[in-house]
Amino acid sequence: MIYLDNAATTFPKPECVYTAMDKFLREKCANPGRAGYRMSVETEQEIVKARVTLAKFLGIKHPERMIFTFNATDALNMGIKGLLCEGDHVITSNLEHSSVSRPLTGLEKHGVITVTRVANSDDGFINADDIRNAIEANTKLIVCTHASNALGTIQPIREIGGVAREKEIMFMVDAAQTTGVCDIDVETQHIDMLAFTGHKGPFGPPGIGGLYVGENVKLQAWREGGTGFEPESLSQPETLPFKLESGTPNSVGIVGLRTGIEFCIKEGTDTIRTHERDLALRLIKGLEADDRFKIYGGRDENEKVGIVSLNIKGLNPGEVAAILDNRFNVAVRPGMHCAPHIHREIGTFPEGTIRVSPGYFNTVNDIEETISGLKAIAESA
Amino acid sequence: MMDQSLERYSRQILSQHIGEECQKVLMDSNAVVVGCGALGTVSSNYLTRAGIGQIRIIDRDFIEESNLQRQILFDENDIAEGLPKAIAAQRKLRKINNNANIEGVVTDVNYANIEELSKDADIIIDGTDNFETRFLINDFCVKNNIPWIYGACIGSRGLTMNIVPSKTPCLRCVFETMPQMGTFPTCDTAGVIGPIAGIIGSIQAIEAIKILAGKYESANKTLIEIDVWDTKVKQIDISELMDLNDCPTCKLHTYKFLEAEDGVMVTLLCGKNAVQVMSRNISSIDLVQLSKRLASISDISSNEFMLKFKVKDNEFTVFPDGRAIITGTNDLNTAKSLYSKYLGM
Repeated sequence: MIYLDNAATTFPKPECVYTAMDKFLREKCANPGRAGYRMSVETEQEIVKARVTLAKFLGIKHPERMIFTFNATDALNMGIKGLLCEGDHVITSNLEHSSVSRPLTGLEKHGVITVTRVANSDDGFINADDIRNAIEANTKLIVCTHASNALGTIQPIREIGGVAREKEIMFMVDAAQTTGVCDIDVETQHIDMLAFTGHKGPFGPPGIGGLYVGENVKLQAWREGGTGFEPESLSQPETLPFKLESGTPNSVGIVGLRTGIEFCIKEGTDTIRTHERDLALRLIKGLEADDRFKIYGGRDENEKVGIVSLNIKGLNPGEVAAILDNRFNVAVRPGMHCAPHIHREIGTFPEGTIRVSPGYFNTVNDIEETISGLKAIAESA
Repeated sequence: MMDQSLERYSRQILSQHIGEECQKVLMDSNAVVVGCGALGTVSSNYLTRAGIGQIRIIDRDFIEESNLQRQILFDENDIAEGLPKAIAAQRKLRKINNNANIEGVVTDVNYANIEELSKDADIIIDGTDNFETRFLINDFCVKNNIPWIYGACIGSRGLTMNIVPSKTPCLRCVFETMPQMGTFPTCDTAGVIGPIAGIIGSIQAIEAIKILAGKYESANKTLIEIDVWDTKVKQIDISELMDLNDCPTCKLHTYKFLEAEDGVMVTLLCGKNAVQVMSRNISSIDLVQLSKRLASISDISSNEFMLKFKVKDNEFTVFPDGRAIITGTNDLNTAKSLYSKYLGM
């Protein structure tokens, strides 16, 4: 099988991730932070190490502000719902994944907040000036994606963060598509909250993600429970990370995430991004001259991750993907990619597009075979 | 005619060893002093007066009365104010030389923060009271090619050596493994005579000055051992250790302390206002020996499973595998510091 759905979940994982998780699950996977016996302490130390590794990787000064979550959706919900109060205004974009847009819409529908969704350019970029112009007196939060999961376009988050910092508004970034792939530094990019997942760029397993909570951010914990910290207290402790990490953590996932991030550091995020992007651009190059194909989103190599959205004129993307799987053994993701707003904008609602997202372990040959398959399908139209 | 801005350093510039050029290099240098006790107060005092441009002083402890006998930057007012050592040192040193950029940082130096705290360092001076941190500094410095100056004192005896990566043996060439936690005497259990710290701290300062000034040829290449009671000075030749091929740090380039694969694990215990300190390596300690070492500072009760003693508000329960539960604190750094003082790490 040629696996080209890495924007959803990276596959395969580096060998070191399988090995580390297997070893940990066999040897150390006790309940951390609740007891003093050696295995429990060792489990806890593995979690602390992972927190430190991720903090360093993302430019986070205080590791205890790096909260483990189940995935990016969990982190985004924790941040958005933990921060916003009645009467707040939020600025977001039309490029957002449902994990950003649905929590906002939910709060909006219940009359808690108001939301401005700034339009993006035709090729899929948010303009920081549009964000600036949307600011109102009660704007509490600017939240946007680092890279569009539908179009692969990298957003100018440093500029947007600069606007947020200047206006003293919280800035939250959905880094689901960029962690492990693009440079992230919460300090220089002025990020107050960063949400990411482990199962994409960081090469971890599903079920583990993270939320960075900046020093100026005070969140309400919406998941409360056992922490191993201040057990005598009847209410949730205020100290991070305990406040936001109730319940037994996914320690084996955390070990996988850390090992995956170490792999990213060793290989170099630049190397990984360049490889994935070059494969995406190769696919575009192989199809763009053929007018049976429509390709969406910007193609500038400096502003693109390894994601290509395309359609074959006159064919349903779901059917094309099924043929690719069935006849050519190529796995891609058709549909709306949980980002309905952008599909309305680019005119592909509700069928969506075919999303091809090469990963670090894909080869030029994988892309060439995919191009051949797509052309053969177009031929049949 | 000497540059007027250098007037305050004129006496050392006039000495045959440090000219104006060297002085300017020193003023452009960055030193990190880890631990500001008996050794750190002495070395940072001289480094500040000598005009080192930037000095960061890191210590996790607060000043106590028993420190004043040897920790020369502190006084009774500092204790009355309840100051952390790093902050009291910063205040004193800024008064001494306002041209130098002095920064006190109150924290425990560990694998998670050593990079951030030391990333611009041209040299690191050891003022710690424990092997755990020294092995960590050694890992960091060898990995990043930064010279550092080991120093240690107990009783009337002191040791110091320069570690200049790829030019000298490293700490682990000399002390291959960390002594077992809880098995050796410390200043708080065996005492220390003030002047030995003054001597070792002063040697550390001048060695740092030589190395920073680019005068490595004049730097000490030996392990210096001094006993001020017997009035003995030894310079132990360690050059042969450079030929060792299996030093885990400087030859095999494994950095287990920096990667938290070795060293101490500190855990807050659920619901006890207590912290547990234990080694990653399973070890065994002799509770009878420990009991003898602690006899002069505390009443001790023990049985075959554990040994208990109390110092001020903190009760220590020590187990045969070297772990200790320290009550009376919820703070991991405080517990680490207490273990280091009374049990040794």
